[in-house]
This record gives sequence, C-alpha cells and structure tokens, in this order.
Amino acid sequence: MTAATPARRFLAGDLAPAATGLGCVVLFFIVLETLIRTGVISEYIVPPPSEVVASFGRVVMEEHIIRRFFLTIGECLTTGVMITVFGVVGGVLLYHYRILRLAVETWVAALAAAPVVLAYPLFMVIFGRNAWTIIMIGFVAALSPVILKTVEGLAGTRKVLIDVGRSFNLSASQQFFKIMLPAALPTIFTGIRLGLIFALINIVGVEFLINYGGLGQLINDLAERYDLPGTYAAICFVILVSVVFFMTLERIERWLRPTN
Amino acid sequence: MAAADQLSKARAPAVSAVTLVRVGLIVGVLAIWELLARSGWLYRDVVPSLIAIAKALVALLSSGDYYFNLGVTAGEVAAALAIGGGCGVVVGIVLGANRFLARAFEIYLYYLGPTPKIIFFPVMIMWFGVGSGSKVALGALSCFFPVALSVAAGMRQIDRVLIRVGKSFRADARQMVTKIYLPAMRHPILNGVRLGLGIALIGTLLAETKLSNKGVGFLIINAYSTFDMPRMYANLIVLFVIAIGANALVGRMVGLHTIRR
Amino acid sequence: MDNPILVADKLGVRFETAEGPVTAVDDVSFSVRQGEFLSIIGPSGCGKSTVFNVIGGLLSQHDGTVRVAGELIDGPHRSIGMVFQEESTFPWRNVTDNVAFPLELTGMPKQNRAERARHFIKMVGLDGFEKRFPGELSGGMRQRVSLARTLASEPKILLMDEPFAALDEQTRLLLGDKVLQIQQQLKQTTLLITHNITEAVQMSDRILVMTYRPGRVKRIVNIDLPRPRTSDIVGSEAFGRYVAQIWADLREEASRGMRDEEDHMLHEAAP
Repeated sequence: MTAATPARRFLAGDLAPAATGLGCVVLFFIVLETLIRTGVISEYIVPPPSEVVASFGRVVMEEHIIRRFFLTIGECLTTGVMITVFGVVGGVLLYHYRILRLAVETWVAALAAAPVVLAYPLFMVIFGRNAWTIIMIGFVAALSPVILKTVEGLAGTRKVLIDVGRSFNLSASQQFFKIMLPAALPTIFTGIRLGLIFALINIVGVEFLINYGGLGQLINDLAERYDLPGTYAAICFVILVSVVFFMTLERIERWLRPTN
Repeated sequence: MAAADQLSKARAPAVSAVTLVRVGLIVGVLAIWELLARSGWLYRDVVPSLIAIAKALVALLSSGDYYFNLGVTAGEVAAALAIGGGCGVVVGIVLGANRFLARAFEIYLYYLGPTPKIIFFPVMIMWFGVGSGSKVALGALSCFFPVALSVAAGMRQIDRVLIRVGKSFRADARQMVTKIYLPAMRHPILNGVRLGLGIALIGTLLAETKLSNKGVGFLIINAYSTFDMPRMYANLIVLFVIAIGANALVGRMVGLHTIRR
Repeated sequence: MDNPILVADKLGVRFETAEGPVTAVDDVSFSVRQGEFLSIIGPSGCGKSTVFNVIGGLLSQHDGTVRVAGELIDGPHRSIGMVFQEESTFPWRNVTDNVAFPLELTGMPKQNRAERARHFIKMVGLDGFEKRFPGELSGGMRQRVSLARTLASEPKILLMDEPFAALDEQTRLLLGDKVLQIQQQLKQTTLLITHNITEAVQMSDRILVMTYRPGRVKRIVNIDLPRPRTSDIVGSEAFGRYVAQIWADLREEASRGMRDEEDHMLHEAAP
C-alpha cells in the first residue's frame, strides 16, 4: 500500500498536502484554459476545459449515458459472477489436489501476466462483435487472480483453527465449509477485487476497440464524429466511473477485514 | 516455475508426477483442439488444425516482413517504456523520498492508475498523428502510472537505517547518492520497470490494432480482417511467447520469481 | 487410583527431523481422577505440547495408550475438550456464534443455542459482549471466548495447552482465578499444560514435572493447599515452598535444556 491510500482517517495534518495537491490540479486546469483561450494551444487539438465541462450535460442527455453505463456495468458484473464461480471452484480444486496445484499454479500466474486482451480479434471471430466477446475477454483476463487468491486463502488458514475443527471431530466437508472457507473469505475477496479491476479495464478497452457496447464505445463514437469536447467529456466520465468502482471495491474489502 | 519444480524435486525421483500431469494436460488440450478442428463442428477455421497453425508459424517466422513489423513494435515499446517508464521512475523517486509531495499527489496516481488508458487513444492521435507517435504516447501513458507507484512504494521501503549509517560516517552528498541511494534504489526501480514493460507492451500493441499499418498489432488485426485464422493464431502465439518470455527474463534479471510464496 | 477418568500409559513419541530421529516423549504414564486439576509442567522442549496433542487425539503416531473412562482413544475423543495456546476464536463469527459452535454441531436449534451459549459466556465473565466480534476484543477476552466454546461442549475432561502464555502477568492471574472458579463450580476434570510454576501451583491438585527431552515424568507433586483457592494464595508460605520445590526440579531440567541448545547452535555454526 502506498502512503497515499486513504485507509486512515483524514487528520488535520493531512490538510496541507491534500490542499496542495488539489490546488495544483486546479491551477493546472486554469493554466490550461488560459493557454487555449489565448491561442497558445490550438483549441482544435485540446478543447478548453470549460467547454468540456459544458458538454457534459449534452453528452449525458444525448448519448444515453445512463443506458451505456448500465451496459458496461452489466458486462462487468456478468464477468464478476463468472470469475467468482469459476475462480473459487478452480482455486478449491487446486488446493485440494496438490499435484494439480504444483503442476498448474505457475501457468495460472503466467496467465495473469499475459496480454490476454491482445487476442481480442480472436475472440471476435469466435463470439462475434458483441457483448459476449467483451465478457469473455474480461473473464479470461480476470480469472487468474481469483484462483490464485483462493488457493492462497485456503492454504493460509491458521493451523490452530484447523486443529479446533479436528478437536471437535468435524467431517471433511464441515471442516471445509465451517472453517476453511470462512477463514479464506477476506483473501478470496481480494482476488475478486483484483479480478474486477482487470475486468473493468479490459471491458471498457475492448468496447472501445471493437466499437460495441457501453462507455468504451461512446468514446470511440464521439471521436469518430470529431466531437472534441464530447470525446474529452466521455473520457472524463469513464475515468470517474472507474475511480468510483475502484473505491467501492476497496471499501467493501476493508469491511471484510475489520481487524486489519 | 522454479518454486514448484523445487517442491516436486524434493519429493519424487526421476520423472516427477508434476511433469507427467503437465505433459498430460498439454497433450489433452492439443488433442481436444485437433478433434474440434477436424469435426467441422465450429464455424470453419475458427479452430484450425494444428498442422495449419504450425505451417503458418513457420511461414511467419521465416518471413522478413514479420521481423520488420516486430522491429517496429519493439521500437515503439522501447520508446514507450523509456518515456513513460523514465518519467515514472523520476516521479516515483520524488514521491518516495518526499512525504509531503507523496501525500499531496500520490493519491491521484493511485486512483487514476487502474483505469483503461486505451480510451485516450483518440486524443493521442490528435496530438501525435496517426503514425508511431500516437502508439508510443499511449504505451508511455499506460506504463507511467504503475511504474511511478511501484517505484514510490519501493523507495519508501528502503531501510532508513542505511541512510542514517551513511550520515553517521559523514558521507558527503555525492557519496550518499552513489554508495547508498543508487544501490538501494536499484531493486525498486528495476522491479518497477519490469512491471512497466508488460503494460507498455499491451498499451502499444492495442493502439496498433486500432489504427496502424505497421507493427505486430497491425499484423494481428490484418489477419482478422482477411480471416486468415492460422496466421492470426501464429501471430498470437509468437506474441504471447515473447511477452511471457520477456517478463520472465527481466524478472530473472531482477532476481524475482513469478510466484510469491 | 481407582476409576480414574483418564489414564495415559507409557506414552512415547518420536519425530523424524533433519538431524535424525528425535524422541520427544518417552514412557510417560499418569492417571487423572474425576474432578481433579492436574498440571503438566516442564521446560521448553520437554514435549508437554506433544503430550497435549496425543491426549487430544491430534497426534496418532505414538507408543502407549490413552484411555478415557476406560475407552481407548483413536482421534479426538468427544469427552475431551481442547483449549489451544494460540488465538483460536473464529474471527468471522461473533462471540455467541463462536461459543455456540459445538452446539451447532450437535444440531441444537438456533434459539436454544443462543440461550445455552449465553450461559457459558456469563460463566467466563463476558456477558454484554455476545454480539461482539473477536477483532473487537482483547487477547485475554478472546481466550475466554475459546474457553467458553470448549466448555459449551461439556467435556468430561478439559485439556488446555498454555492458554495464558500470550497474556501479561496480571491478566493471567485474573484469568487463572476465573478458570479456578469455573473448575470448582463445575467440578471439571482439568489437565493444564504450562511452563508457569505460579500458575500450576495456584490451580492444581497435583503437578506432574517433566524432564527435558526426551520428556519423561520426573516427579509428581501433591499440592495440599486448601480449596476453594483464589489468586490471594500466591502470597502464602506454603505456596512459596511448593514453588521453590518445583523450581528446583525445573531448574535442573531447564539448564540441561539451555546447554543442549548452545551445543546445537555451536554445532550448526561450525563449518
């Protein structure tokens, strides 16, 4: 975790740096606006920030941004459900069958590092230029962290908790469902969170690339129409959605790990 | 690979069970593949026969054209990594060294990092044109954030004690930098760059697939548009091997393993 | 002793280590009467935790036998309740759900479980904390939850492995009081593994002193202090004498242990 993650409460001592940071950002936009208005930077390449903000309303209304937003989120959630089901089951299988885990765990980790999204033309051939391509790319790109974290969570169950289960003569399935799985849940959720982030990035990216879908496609659309302020506004909107998504996931994860 | 292999070597002799399982899995997948290909069950050529793919691979790797495109992409990725990674390293060092600046600005990097950068591509085209410039710019933008964050975090982990040791021996500024800071920074910086390489690769290539007439990304999308599936598979296979291989290679150099136990 | 509730007969445990086989426990035999409080004390490395695991049924590779009410044990016995040294509360369950865990396993309906659990939660002095989660409690409170959970299974024999080892001295004394109180109230047969002499003398009817590895029974001491006892007894003269006596035994074993460790380290450091 970096020094800047807002995991702790906002103290008085945080005010100065936070204000400086925010101040610099605001200053940057003011300077940018001035440079554009005075013609130093061509307004046909970078629209003035004020115009971008002004076009927000238009973009929201005319481009059905709510519908698009839900489409993108829908794709994300579908992917989320899929990676949770297959990822956790996969992780449990790997944990259970040691030989499988030894054989395959490196491959799963390599999958996480592999540029899956680059194969999007292949997915398009298989699934067509539609939402399934998008969802499947998100799925393949996001599956790996869920599997790995599930294995990590289960393997990391504290021995004493397992001993407690044994001392109560729990059956294997009781041991798994009453002790190991609950103990592993926070770590599993970390995996799901990482997966969802990969998923969102890949999903929006692919929507843009194949010009289909929700928010990603919107940007592509506006860009092709040379609607400069609109394009910038749409980009800002996507960034905003992404940031909120990320923050929400963090909050949920913190709630699951109260003792940390 | 290393950790799992060591684990299996500690247990079984000769041909380890792990190797058998791996070989078994690979053979199994290839067998199912070939069956699907020959069954005609899926739309033609979506799953081409392994032989067709092998032929396409050979054709690809023996064509000078491929290496030209590979060179173009490699150049773009290198430039993207140099610019984005370079800026990332500098920003990371500054934020890692100075607590105030970190608390002021790092939060923006942290939250802007995990966002899809490819959506900036239209802007990059506007600013840098339709040639390599826009691809490099996108690659640079993509890898800047993770590199900066990684380097900053790494810098903060440098043992403060080492710095105090240097000061206690009254090392002057130049000695502090060359004998303490730089050696200590080497690991977090290399680690950040390793991370940046993969991301710069993805960013640059995605840009190429969107709008380009050169480079590996272009070759992939070109194979798609001509529905030359064996060629597309061949391109993807080579690309993935290079990507995973480069990552592993740099990882080895930095002294890291792909699985943290 | 007639009709002892627990009989350990010629227990022996050997481990394979990198340096060859090590005998952790050798020819340990003892019996426990119903309602008795027996402590097993010894220096680090005497194998007392191994004995704990054998009696608890968690370690099946051993020589000798353990019988509970005449029955040979083979795995964790339903009449033995274990309290472990480390943090063992389930962090994802609140206090009530932790304590009700054994009741859940017997299929008791939810309503009755909560009520029954509250009985044991009160017994360990945690009433009011039923809805809290372990993360919100102190170390001592968490150990009390673990204790309540084990008590809820109403074991014939309570088996504890240094449950207070991680706590500070004052908390330890107070918890010791609590355990004593409970034990006297329930007439609970208790077997306590500890390295703390004060604790052992304060709570026990008898103390079994073990030697350093290989762990054998060095001596069994009858503690003839009046009951009911509280932590006040720590100041009495008789108490002091028992402590001194056991310390003399332990010191011998402990210094053997230290010398052995030093030899070991020198061995390893030498090329």
